Amino acid sequence: MCVFRDGEACVSRGGGSEPEWGPRGASLAVGVSAPLTMFRYQSLEDCPLDEDEDAFQTLGEEDEDIDQFNDDTFGAGAIDDDWQEAHERLAELEDKPATARELEDGAVSDEMELLGHHEENLAERLSKLVIENELEDPAIMQAVQTQPPMQQPGGLNSSIWDGSAVLRRIRGPLLTQEMPSVSVLEYAMPQRPPQGQEDERDLSERALPRRSSSPVIGSPPVRAVPIGTPPKQATVPNFNQQILCPKPVHIRAPMQQRYPSPYGERMSPNQLCSVPAGRMSPSQFARVSGLVGSPLTSMNPKLLQGRVGQMMSPASGFRAFFGAPPPPAPPPSQQQHPPCPGSHLQNLRPHPQMFRPDTTHLHPQHRRLLHQRQQQNRNQHRSLNGSAGDRAGHRSSHQEQLRKDPYANLMLQREKDWVSKIQMMQLQSTDPYLDDFYYQNYFQKLEKVSAAEEMHGDGPKKERTKLITPQVAKLEHAYKPVQFEGSLGKLTVSSVNNPRKMIDAVVTSRSEDDETKEKQVRDKRRQTLVTIEKTYSLLLDVEDYERRYLLSLEGERPALMEERKQKICDMYDNLRGKAPGQERPSDDHFVQIMCIRKGKRMVARILPFLSTEQAADILMATARNLPFLIKKDAQDEVLLCLLRPFSLVLYHLPSGTVTSLLQQLANLPQSATAPAPANLHLAAVLQNKFGLSLLYLVLSRGEELQNSSAATELMQDNQWTELMSMATRELLRIPEAALAKPVSTPSNLLSLFSRYVDQQKLNVLETKLQLVQGIR
Amino acid sequence: RAGTKSVPVRLRGPGPLAAAGLKLPHAARAAAAGMLFYSFFKSLVGKDVVVELKNDLSICGTLHSVDQYLNIKLTDISVTDPEKYPHMLSVKNCFIRGSVVRYVQLPADEVDTQLLQDAARKEALQQKQ
Repeated sequence: MCVFRDGEACVSRGGGSEPEWGPRGASLAVGVSAPLTMFRYQSLEDCPLDEDEDAFQTLGEEDEDIDQFNDDTFGAGAIDDDWQEAHERLAELEDKPATARELEDGAVSDEMELLGHHEENLAERLSKLVIENELEDPAIMQAVQTQPPMQQPGGLNSSIWDGSAVLRRIRGPLLTQEMPSVSVLEYAMPQRPPQGQEDERDLSERALPRRSSSPVIGSPPVRAVPIGTPPKQATVPNFNQQILCPKPVHIRAPMQQRYPSPYGERMSPNQLCSVPAGRMSPSQFARVSGLVGSPLTSMNPKLLQGRVGQMMSPASGFRAFFGAPPPPAPPPSQQQHPPCPGSHLQNLRPHPQMFRPDTTHLHPQHRRLLHQRQQQNRNQHRSLNGSAGDRAGHRSSHQEQLRKDPYANLMLQREKDWVSKIQMMQLQSTDPYLDDFYYQNYFQKLEKVSAAEEMHGDGPKKERTKLITPQVAKLEHAYKPVQFEGSLGKLTVSSVNNPRKMIDAVVTSRSEDDETKEKQVRDKRRQTLVTIEKTYSLLLDVEDYERRYLLSLEGERPALMEERKQKICDMYDNLRGKAPGQERPSDDHFVQIMCIRKGKRMVARILPFLSTEQAADILMATARNLPFLIKKDAQDEVLLCLLRPFSLVLYHLPSGTVTSLLQQLANLPQSATAPAPANLHLAAVLQNKFGLSLLYLVLSRGEELQNSSAATELMQDNQWTELMSMATRELLRIPEAALAKPVSTPSNLLSLFSRYVDQQKLNVLETKLQLVQGIR
Repeated sequence: RAGTKSVPVRLRGPGPLAAAGLKLPHAARAAAAGMLFYSFFKSLVGKDVVVELKNDLSICGTLHSVDQYLNIKLTDISVTDPEKYPHMLSVKNCFIRGSVVRYVQLPADEVDTQLLQDAARKEALQQKQ
């Protein structure tokens, strides 16, 4: 038995038609015994004849061996195929593919019984490799078309998976545009009717080299022809190449070797690589088990191609989880699919076989956007298009392309499904909200915005479908490292689950004395940054509580609330610096945070969660240090983000607080002495957009309070009056050019100022500050 | 220097999958941790982007789909410098392997930077755990 290595074709030595048993005439065709025999003969030849009897004895023994070898090869033990005859038959394949087909059928049927029990065992073993329980995930199962127990349409039995079927070049309709690799967001392919398969059927039988051992899992397949070679039109010569070897055994070889070969011979490289080494394709064991079945006669490529032409979206499994009713599932109906987003193939204008992506797994908002886009594109192209005749032309040329596509149907539908399954499995998540955070939230926000806009209109018309992403329960895998009984110590096996520590880095902190002032400053900034990040994590957690609240059980809710409160307190503490005692004398910590851009944004986000006093405190601190902050913000210009939350807070503030707030803004001590000619603090405030806007807000709020029932309090407050006069004085004093442009000018300022200034000054203020609506 | 206690640093290598070969789903699921940009690009499906590759080829097109490896499919593409790459004239759709992408230029108004920062923070927290 000859062992082939790497597909070397075994070619018989020319000349002799009969294998000779002469010392040197032994052809390789004799089999593995041949090298041994040759060796022996050669050695005998070289042996000097004047050897003792031992030599002759050995010779005699070898004679017996020879006889045995003879029998094995040519006698009863051998298989009875006459290689010459077979060779002639095969030679005819060039001219008559049909004949070759019959030959194949015959050959296959002979070998079926021989291979029978082999394949069963292998099938069992292989099926164990596939983790079936994972396949119960409805999302995954919906992503694939085939059911685990093979149910082929049209009453095909498992013989369809016969190796010869695979090795046969199956031409199926496949869009040229289909990308060979499977993307998770692959859009669905419409099913194409099989187009003229009969003429396409070739026997591109390529005999794959035989393995000497059972298939080794994970080892690459041995290929006679390099992977990725597109099948030639006349593939029969290839077939011949392999079969030219006159060995009788070799005829059997293609059939026998089919089961070790894990892949169809025409997988393109990327498809091949996408199959992980650790597993064997289901089609392989399907094929294998198929070999057990009855011979080829029922093999019907037409039906096979019908199935192969489909390409279902792997992500269509998400359909089931939608609030909206799922669209009709089976692929044949895809032709009536709703219009696809994004015109993908400009040369294929609207026609039933257009590339229609499946968008059901997308967020409804996203889908809507895509549809709109697609509509636009469609209209655009319609206008650019010629008559319908052009389209027909396009269509026929496109179909032409399809028919001639050499890379079509490289993978069976089953294989595609299998790859899709793996990809889908990788995307299973225990917490889709967390894993897919950006996507989910982004479209939620969009929806809110559009809902808000719609409310102004005629109310929400569109259905509020929610995107529900399937979730897998988290399984706790306690990793137990490999242990052998009776061994000393443990094996150190590093794997994905148990990564080995590669570097032991020890972090030591430097002592305080060594640091210079500069370093201290740097450290301080770093510490502030760390604080900000910690507070950010708390903030994200707190923002998440609403959602968790909805998902949780009744009993858990109080605990959740508690947690939330605690976190809010922690955040506040972080912002203001840990209280040394009762008081918080210094704003330093807070100011440090506010000097950093993300600190400011964070404060803006935290404010809604704080209690009124806490928020007021923050406001005060800000107002107190406003000029400094303004100076620091010159580059970032992010203070404006604080306006909105500040205004919300202001709305809740009592009058006393408002007064003191204004005081802070004006930077007056509690007991006002004679006012300075120019209040620098206030001046700085006025010159800054944020400062001015904030001032306006405060003033506006004050005005509101005055107008409300609690107004009397404010009116009687001397401080307020004083502050107001100071403010107006400053406003009058400052040159118009220096005055900043506020974000918005509250409407009640005019009435406010009218209380405190005379008409003349009021007019000046009016024009200066553009208090009247008409002036812009 | 920032920390006060010693923190042993673990570097996770890719690890041979063979050990977990037959437990592929579990190991593969663990890989779902780094899904931030996958999620991000998913939200950009349908938008026009310009992808610059490591071989300096810039392709402008509509983002058709993306997968967990950030492989990108673009439709209706046009090369920004057609004279230099004439072989791309007839190409309408393309598949780009994620590892060869250098930049992806996005429309600024389609990106919510605050949300992206939040997502990054969450991911960092998750990875730490």
